Order: sequence, then C-alpha cells, then structure tokens
Amino acid sequence: MKPADDIEDTDPGLARERTELAWDRTAISFAALGGAILKSRPYAGIPILVLSSLIWELGRLARAPGTGRSRPWHLLLITVAITGVSIAALAITLLGPEPAGLRP
Amino acid sequence: MQAAGAGEERRTDTSHGDSAHPADSADGVEPDARFTFANERTFLAWSRTALALVAAGLAIVQLLPPFPGVPWGRHIIGTPLILLGSAVAVISYLEWNSNQRALRRSEPVSRSQLPRILAVTIAIIGLVAAALALLSGVTRH
Repeated sequence: MKPADDIEDTDPGLARERTELAWDRTAISFAALGGAILKSRPYAGIPILVLSSLIWELGRLARAPGTGRSRPWHLLLITVAITGVSIAALAITLLGPEPAGLRP
Repeated sequence: MQAAGAGEERRTDTSHGDSAHPADSADGVEPDARFTFANERTFLAWSRTALALVAAGLAIVQLLPPFPGVPWGRHIIGTPLILLGSAVAVISYLEWNSNQRALRRSEPVSRSQLPRILAVTIAIIGLVAAALALLSGVTRH
C-alpha cells in the first residue's frame, strides 16, 4: 500500500522510542499498583501484575519497524484494564471489611 | 475545509498520485506516524493519571486511619477519586479516537476536556476533604 510506504519514508525517528518508553512507564505504573496490593489482596494483585507484563509487551510492538498505524485494540486494553481495576477498587472499598488504616 | 485541502496537498507531495484520492473519503488517510505516536503517548499519559487516581482513592480508604466521629469519611473522599479515575480512562480513549480521526481527515484536533474535568472534580474533592477534616475535629471534642 502506498500510504504505508509514505509512513516509512517520513522516518518517525525517536517518536517510536518515546512511545515505547511511555508504554513502559504505563506498565511500571500497573506493576507498582499490583505489587502494592499483592500482600493484602493477592487475588487482585496477581492479575494486575500479569496486565503489567502484557502492557510491557505491547510497548515492544510499538518499537517494531513498519508500525506507526493507529492500534485501537492495544489502547482499548489499557482503558478496559483501568476500568476493571477501578471496579475492583470500588468493590474492595464498598464491600470489603472496614479497614483499620495504618496507625502512626 | 481549508485544512483538508492543505492535507491533501501534503499527501500528494510524498505519494504517487493515486493515494491522494483516499483523502476524499470519509475515513481520510493514514496520518504521519509521528502524529499517531504523539496521540498514543498523550493517551498513555492520561491513562497513568487515571491509574494514579484509582490508586489514590484505594489508598485513602485502605490506609488512612478513620476520621474520628465520621466513620464514612474516608469513603466520601476515596470513592469519587476511583470514579474519576475510570472516567479519565474512558474519556482519554474517546479523545484519542477523535484526535486520530481528525488527523486522518487533516482537520484541527479539538481541545481536550480532560484538564477541566480533572481540575473541577479534584477541587470539589479537596473542599469535601477539608470539610471532613474540620468536622472530625469538631466531633472529637
């Protein structure tokens, strides 16, 4: 296809790498949240850690040569993941046992 | 439609004639990969903001000691933050989609609504948190 050839001609350069790093930061954010709640809620922490590694792998795909087209499904996965995490957070918040909180 | 015409000229500079015609279709043409990447990074940055809001809401309810005299105080602050996080996640995807469509059609990208939504909601939550802090101070004595 001609438009794809044009995209290769324009040479996205470092934009590709910046985008990969943005995916990595997003994956690390998920990993931090998953790790933080792993001890108290392992059933919520383990899926979030799995999501984190999946997002990291999607970032690798951003680096692959020839890409540069929009990838709605990859981005939709992030939105669905955050929505799922917030539903889990609401369930823990509203249905879980009354938390004592960290005492100073 | 001046912007669309300029976009078509931009495309014909680098293409071989026949690929200029997709610019006339409703879906437009694939934009410059750098613009696609930039749009994607913006979405990812908003997504991290959304995740941080959810994490903050969860942490407030789970980790803060309860407000004296206001047992539901932590939920009043934390639940809106979690809901705001999921709203930011969904709206950022919709805005990514509309930006991508605008880029394909060489139209100007519309201004993002997210900064206003974020500022107004966080300001309200902050005021509520201040009121709760005062209220728990009053009921303690």
